[in-house]
Amino acid sequence: MRIETTRSAAAVRLQHAAAFHGSDSDLLDQLVPLADTALRAGEAVALALRPATEQALVERLGSTTGLARLHQPESADTASGQTAAGRRAMELREITSTTGAPVTVLAEHTSRLDGVDGGFWTELDAALNVALAELPVRVTCFFPELPLHLEILDGAHRNHPLLLRAGQLRHNPQHIGPREVLTTRPAPPPVLLGPPDLRMEFSAWQLHEVRTAVEQALEAADYGRERAEDVVLAVNEVATNAVEHGTPEARLSIWTGPGGLVCEIDDGGTLRDPLPGLQAPHPAEARGRGVWIARQVCDSLHVWVDARGTHVRMRATP
Amino acid sequence: MTRTVDDGRSVAHACAVPVSDEQLWEMTAEFVAAGLNRGEQVVYFDDGTADHVLERLTDDCVAVSPSIEDGSLAIVPPDATRTTLRSPLLAVAEIVSATVDGAVAQGFSGVRLTGQFNYALQRAGGVSLAEYDAVFDDVTRERPVRVLCLYDRRRFPEGAIDEMRARHHTELVVPAIYDDGLLRITGTGPATARVAGEVDHSNRPRIRRLLEATLDEALRSHAAPTDITLDLSSLRFLDVAGAVSLVHAAEEFPSSHRLVLAGVRPRVLRVLDRCGAPFAAQLVVRPRTDVESGVGAR
Repeated sequence: MRIETTRSAAAVRLQHAAAFHGSDSDLLDQLVPLADTALRAGEAVALALRPATEQALVERLGSTTGLARLHQPESADTASGQTAAGRRAMELREITSTTGAPVTVLAEHTSRLDGVDGGFWTELDAALNVALAELPVRVTCFFPELPLHLEILDGAHRNHPLLLRAGQLRHNPQHIGPREVLTTRPAPPPVLLGPPDLRMEFSAWQLHEVRTAVEQALEAADYGRERAEDVVLAVNEVATNAVEHGTPEARLSIWTGPGGLVCEIDDGGTLRDPLPGLQAPHPAEARGRGVWIARQVCDSLHVWVDARGTHVRMRATP
Repeated sequence: MTRTVDDGRSVAHACAVPVSDEQLWEMTAEFVAAGLNRGEQVVYFDDGTADHVLERLTDDCVAVSPSIEDGSLAIVPPDATRTTLRSPLLAVAEIVSATVDGAVAQGFSGVRLTGQFNYALQRAGGVSLAEYDAVFDDVTRERPVRVLCLYDRRRFPEGAIDEMRARHHTELVVPAIYDDGLLRITGTGPATARVAGEVDHSNRPRIRRLLEATLDEALRSHAAPTDITLDLSSLRFLDVAGAVSLVHAAEEFPSSHRLVLAGVRPRVLRVLDRCGAPFAAQLVVRPRTDVESGVGAR
């Protein structure tokens, strides 16, 4: 028996390509046809480009119709590839759910977010492979042929299943899965903060003390009730994971300051999934939803592992 | 010999030993509400606990603000509570008698006294808790007063509880299905339970067990309602796995039965919404409708 399928049944899922350029004009020559093709098909084009590139592209296209701008991390200091990927997934989920059509994403490397070694880009693209897996998006990430850090090219080759060469998408034989990428190059620790305002050890029976500590830290600042309750929930979920899957004892640290509340949960365990909570959990799956919700609530949620165990740093502004 | 009762609404002078704060608010609110219902004046001696009692009264749909405005619910501020509990016995007897006489003169059918008396443990006025209690006992013999003395385990040492318990003829004992100090579950009727406090990783399995037992009972009895109802008015926190387990439990109910969550606070409602509650056909979520917004239900 032959099963008939319609074209729409074969829906687009993440198509993630890397492309390389030798100059700004080369970059533009590659961007314009991609944007043009999508716009002609009536599909939205989402941009994560440097301001100068975006301006030049708009000039070449002659209009901003159909274009959307994606959020970019503010600085390398607070940038977290997994946080940026989670946020991009949220934005794209919203665009695809309103238009119902695939979205073309044009992204560009910017040395502003390189940090010390360019590892941000490796983490971002690995995390995008997880976070965008179920979304109907065509992502093309542009990198300079000669970036400052070799890591950027290495990461690009490992993370992208497709390469755009001379306008053609080709299979990339160097591509490996995001979890393998992160095994060889784990998510980096975030910047060091000074001594915390509060530090406490907790067990599974002291989660209410964790919640109270966070509540009190939020009370001092101007968080609305709903926002404060959501942040407490986020920290509770990460803390629960730590004592449930990590070690019986875990540690909470809280920093308060002008940049919002920062909470860190440290446990002595290892991670089965190096990028927890990036994919919307299946309704029937009881686990994994807590961290996913925590990622939606927090401005940034960065998970990393070192010899001492697993660490999660959350930042939440009012 | 201390007699135990499970209904504190009409006792004259009874003690109770709540095992948790949640039970403390529950017992106090029930005692207060019964007084307001019967046209008595209720005097609550506050010592940093009144907010919780008022919150619980609001959870129980008791209109708090009108009662405070018309004087039927009088809250003695913490300072005044402590002043009373270091006054000489005669002065306390006079204050209480005068309060009752005044209330009766205003048209109240009697007076109810309760509150937080643990400051008396310090014997700041050289008078013991037991001696103050004797004064209350005397007054209840002569005047229309009901007194509920609460010796909760968080604020009273074991020795003091034993001593005070022995001095009371009546002890109010309200059994719970479960109480761990953070979460308290009480059976409130056929296929109905009240879940108060906080649900997290430490006690989450209890919810599942409660639902299994309640459903089992309902399925075995033809007279039992087909709605299993959990009153969540006093549930202040529900974690994500707790919300997921409620949603999953409802999905696994036989098609004849539904899980009804009543009086759900906004905070708990948001977690349920994020965990797929709107898509579970056999789950009915009834958000709390606040008659009074000022009194804080989080």
